[in-house]
Amino acid sequence: MPDGASRGRQSVGVDIGGTFTDLVAVRDGGIVVSKSSTIVDDPTKGVADCVEIAGISTAEINEFLHGSTIAINTVLERKGATTALLTTEGFRDVYAIGRSNRPEGFNLNFARPQPLIRRELTFDATERLNAKGEVLEALDEDAVRTVGEKLSALGVDAIAVCFLHSYANPAHESRAGEILKEVCPDIYVTLSNEILREYREYERTSTTALNAYVGPRVSRYLDRLDTYLHEGQFGGTIQIMRSNGGTMSLNQAHRQPVTMMESGPVAGMIGAGHLANQLGFDQCIGFDMGGTTAKASMFRNGEPAVHEEYFIGGYASGQPMQMPVVDIIEIGAGGGSIAWCDPHGGLHVGPESAGAQPGPACYGQGGDNPVITDADLVLGRLNAGRFLSGKMALDPALSEKAIQEKVAGPLGLSVIDAALGIAKIADSAMSLAVRAVSVERGSDPRDCAMIAFGGAGPLHALSIARDISIPTVIIPRFPGNFSALGMLMAPWRQDLVQTFVVDLSHADPAAAQAAMDSLADQGKALLDADGLDANDATFAYAADLRYVGQEHAIPVPMTEAQDLADGGSPTLREAFDRLHQYRYGHAAPEERIQVAKIRLTVTVVRRDNSALSWLSTAYTPENAQADSERPVYFEDAEAPLTAKIVWRPGLAPGTEIPGPAVVEEPNSTTLLYPGDVGRIDEHGHLIVAVGGA
Amino acid sequence: MTVHPITLEVVRNAFVAYSEEMATALCRSAHNMMIYEVRDFCCGLIDTDGNLISQNSGGLPIFLADLGVAVKDGIERYGLDGFALGDVIIMNHAGVCGQHLNNIVIYTPCFHDGELVAFAANRAHWVDVGGSRIGFGSYDSFEIFQEGVQFRSLKIYEAGKRNDALWQIIHDNLRFPESSLGDLRAQIAACNIAERRLGELYRRYDTETIAACMQRIWDQSEAEARDVVEGFPDGVYEAEGFLDNDGVVIDTPLIIKVKVTVDGGEMTIDYTGTNPQVRSPLNSGSGDLAAARIAFKALTLPNAPVNEGCFRPLKLISPEGTILRAKPPAAIGLWSVALPTVIDVILKALAPALPDRVPAAHKGDMGGCSFYGYREDDGRRFLLMNIMGGGWGGRPHGDGESAAMSVCQGDVRNAPVEVQEMNYPFIIECHKLRTDSGGAGKYRGGLGVEIRYRCLQKTVANINFDRTYDAPWGLHGGLEGAVNEAVIYRTDGSEERVLKQTNIQLEPGDRVSFFTGGGGGYGAPAERPHDEIVRDVKTGLVSAAAAKLDYGIDLKVEAAE
Repeated sequence: MPDGASRGRQSVGVDIGGTFTDLVAVRDGGIVVSKSSTIVDDPTKGVADCVEIAGISTAEINEFLHGSTIAINTVLERKGATTALLTTEGFRDVYAIGRSNRPEGFNLNFARPQPLIRRELTFDATERLNAKGEVLEALDEDAVRTVGEKLSALGVDAIAVCFLHSYANPAHESRAGEILKEVCPDIYVTLSNEILREYREYERTSTTALNAYVGPRVSRYLDRLDTYLHEGQFGGTIQIMRSNGGTMSLNQAHRQPVTMMESGPVAGMIGAGHLANQLGFDQCIGFDMGGTTAKASMFRNGEPAVHEEYFIGGYASGQPMQMPVVDIIEIGAGGGSIAWCDPHGGLHVGPESAGAQPGPACYGQGGDNPVITDADLVLGRLNAGRFLSGKMALDPALSEKAIQEKVAGPLGLSVIDAALGIAKIADSAMSLAVRAVSVERGSDPRDCAMIAFGGAGPLHALSIARDISIPTVIIPRFPGNFSALGMLMAPWRQDLVQTFVVDLSHADPAAAQAAMDSLADQGKALLDADGLDANDATFAYAADLRYVGQEHAIPVPMTEAQDLADGGSPTLREAFDRLHQYRYGHAAPEERIQVAKIRLTVTVVRRDNSALSWLSTAYTPENAQADSERPVYFEDAEAPLTAKIVWRPGLAPGTEIPGPAVVEEPNSTTLLYPGDVGRIDEHGHLIVAVGGA
Repeated sequence: MTVHPITLEVVRNAFVAYSEEMATALCRSAHNMMIYEVRDFCCGLIDTDGNLISQNSGGLPIFLADLGVAVKDGIERYGLDGFALGDVIIMNHAGVCGQHLNNIVIYTPCFHDGELVAFAANRAHWVDVGGSRIGFGSYDSFEIFQEGVQFRSLKIYEAGKRNDALWQIIHDNLRFPESSLGDLRAQIAACNIAERRLGELYRRYDTETIAACMQRIWDQSEAEARDVVEGFPDGVYEAEGFLDNDGVVIDTPLIIKVKVTVDGGEMTIDYTGTNPQVRSPLNSGSGDLAAARIAFKALTLPNAPVNEGCFRPLKLISPEGTILRAKPPAAIGLWSVALPTVIDVILKALAPALPDRVPAAHKGDMGGCSFYGYREDDGRRFLLMNIMGGGWGGRPHGDGESAAMSVCQGDVRNAPVEVQEMNYPFIIECHKLRTDSGGAGKYRGGLGVEIRYRCLQKTVANINFDRTYDAPWGLHGGLEGAVNEAVIYRTDGSEERVLKQTNIQLEPGDRVSFFTGGGGGYGAPAERPHDEIVRDVKTGLVSAAAAKLDYGIDLKVEAAE
């Protein structure tokens, strides 16, 4: 149970990334941070290292929040369970046929998504419902039993069950599930209706298959984590980050591991949303730039946009997942992204990354490809002696050599000009990503603040902000560890969706009420299972609406079933037309509208709000260091500017830093352009008024 | 004027992003499945000479750099100084665009500091544009006037003011005005988005710089394409193939003749000898260009952004009066039906020269079906359309993909069974891969699919299958794939095979099965590794009987041993 006050102990957030495992704990109003190398073969060991480095005893931990890439990596690396699939008779190839589309339209060597389940492990059973959920043919229970009996002999560890129209009536699936659990109790069973109640058989089958496929491996991992923590007299609870920006209990994570797919990247965005709320920004863009990718997400009133069309492994050949995921746009531009030239004089950055090994050329680990970090170093934007708290000395000569050989030489540019080009192309690509989550979703960046974090985010944030006219940029305290901190602010959250398609001109409020009640019952059961009190929970309903004839629908908040009656209540109708106008630039108030889904989001805010309070505790500087100066290249390759270099941990609240300046701290660096003015606020966050914006 | 390489890159990315942004907005707010599922649309930016600056990816491949001709017609009509801010032009004229009338082009002029700098344009398929039959392409049409209403470069908005008369003509002459006017609004909104973005770009960089960037982008794309063609062996390569018939005269196949000349960095595609235009809607006014461009793009720079420069090294020789360049007033409702075969034939011609690039033939048609009528429960008119994937040919380095959209349909999606049953009076009895439909070979062709509909009420169907006379061929010793077919099973137990037919009357309980074709094999079946054949039989993609017949492997005997 999210409860930190009762025992006076602490909550700990641990984020396992590709290179590093990060820990953040809040203790006595102060923050504890640690970092260890991720151990791919035994991630729990990396967690243990982190806990040890932080000097925490597991007995002191009241609540352990955890984000991990284990689920998504299991899919990307195809290391999941041997899985079977059970479908309606006549439809065993739905999963292989998919939608038959070829996103790479001209590529004769296109690759369609490869099912995670082999065709010979796909079975069908006689049963049939129609779109209303009425039974056309009863379930052949013997057939299900026969399938169950075969599974062990075939060496199957998991089975996904997805019948046609089970979103409308789960009875057949549930019965098949009972039989399978009885016949083969050791097999991991996933029923589509327990994962999602939405129409479109391919996307539902794929989502169900993903859950079954990752289930056994994620379960084993969670068990090891649980065992490790309990060996150290851990008496608290484990909460797992899920892709919708909320958390769930360990038990639920065992049943719905598919909801952990984007467990990693969302946490920082949740933290950014809270910080935006505290600072009073209604609209904010979270921007996170790490070693291999940059991510952007948009918040309104601290709430992230959540969407449900997601592809594990990319759109062209990836596995569709019909699950709520925080709307994050991710592009291949991180500190380690490689700059390269094509034979026709085009300069490109990424998506290939030099990773941690060999890393940027300047690491001196044998990398000879120039990366964004090399460009930043050559331009004087990074301090060779203070990178990662000075633990890793950088060699600018190696960066220059790599840039000269791979970019400047081929293009006939000077090294500085080439380095500026690399930075600018990366910034331009990131600007387009930030634009995609804001402008393309109908928000004007001039009304937004940007919260920038991740090791490399603060270095590039101001360039992006100038490019698309964001007036304010905030660099929180500890930007390099902000993601793990975000976990300590995430609510318990469950998104429940029910397909419910009807024109509002003849919607039956009683049927809508029944759908809402059913969602509420599911939500209450989940709260109960996680030991939470429904009275502490918020139940927010929405209807996904569209004009008749459209496919894509927009969620519009609703309060009661009556909102859907008589063509839609005026409030609902106006809200929909307004959102449609806002998103797509047109609306048609005279047209009929249709509901496609009813959704319920249940949230329980964390009772232990120490991380949240920490964001707004008074800040005391420490370890002040003298300012210095060095030449830094901004726009002009011929004329570097003399920039002020400051050490952030030593800056007192209220300190103003006019650009051009470089603000350095242990795990990150902020670059301020001429005209920018940074100010350390009373909580230690760096608030930058962007020059010329 | 020289452009800084960095500025060039920023402008290039911006142009592509604006076209993509238009496409997203159009797709998400459109009112008909031909746009949001079939992606039967394209969006692009056009310069003031009618050249394509950028185009979205992921739309229908057949729309390759063909928005320009529509805009050029408007430029000729109004003059460059005849456009005002807030104008919206509508265009679908067959003689100019050469495509069926459902493909409606909408474009708007974009200004910077009062100067016309470019046009934002898109084309989208409306479900119906009037005419003698619902939808498009009825086989009883033989001239364009039976196929719907034509709009030739008309301003539906003038300086922001709507032309109500024109609006009403549209409303009164279409079968689904709510849907089409919804699409029209979505198309206009998409143009407006691009106008705003272009405005931002021109405020940041001056007009001269951006103009210079456009030239450089085209020159670079041209150079890249030329480089690839230079790598092809010079020579003259010929091939021919056949469409089944024109849908009216059923026993006469239509010939497609192609001569491809590779000379240094240039490729010429000559259609001389291709079938004369026919008295059915199986003609097009511009299919020659669309097919040539798809084949060229696929062979040169398949994943690079589309712009005018990509196609400069491609030349066409195409006499007027063929089914691919029909003279008005020919009916052209089924303008795209021939194109998958035309592209297959172009690839076949080049197969001996490019054994490492060219796959065997694919299922070879557009795989569409439609059912329509009036619903018995609420009396409303309905129109169900579905597009089915099929098998692709074996490739130089691997098996062909199964159940994939044709070479003319990229990111087109089939309609989910659950969505079809929710919206239309049918039960779908199966949707499965078609065992043994892939042509045998060292690299096996992909499989087609079967989908079977059972009618719950009286319904009318249109079916458009082709490529049965000239089955999807194999290459280098590979065998051909199974052909497309549709079978109607009547309640009285009778069966009939159908390929191209409109207005098929169906009664409650009647079933229609669509079997889509498989791809041809690549390389001789004898070269296929034994394990692969065993695996195919185990997974059920190939039957034991076919394994014996095509590959000479008797698994029963092997098991006994």
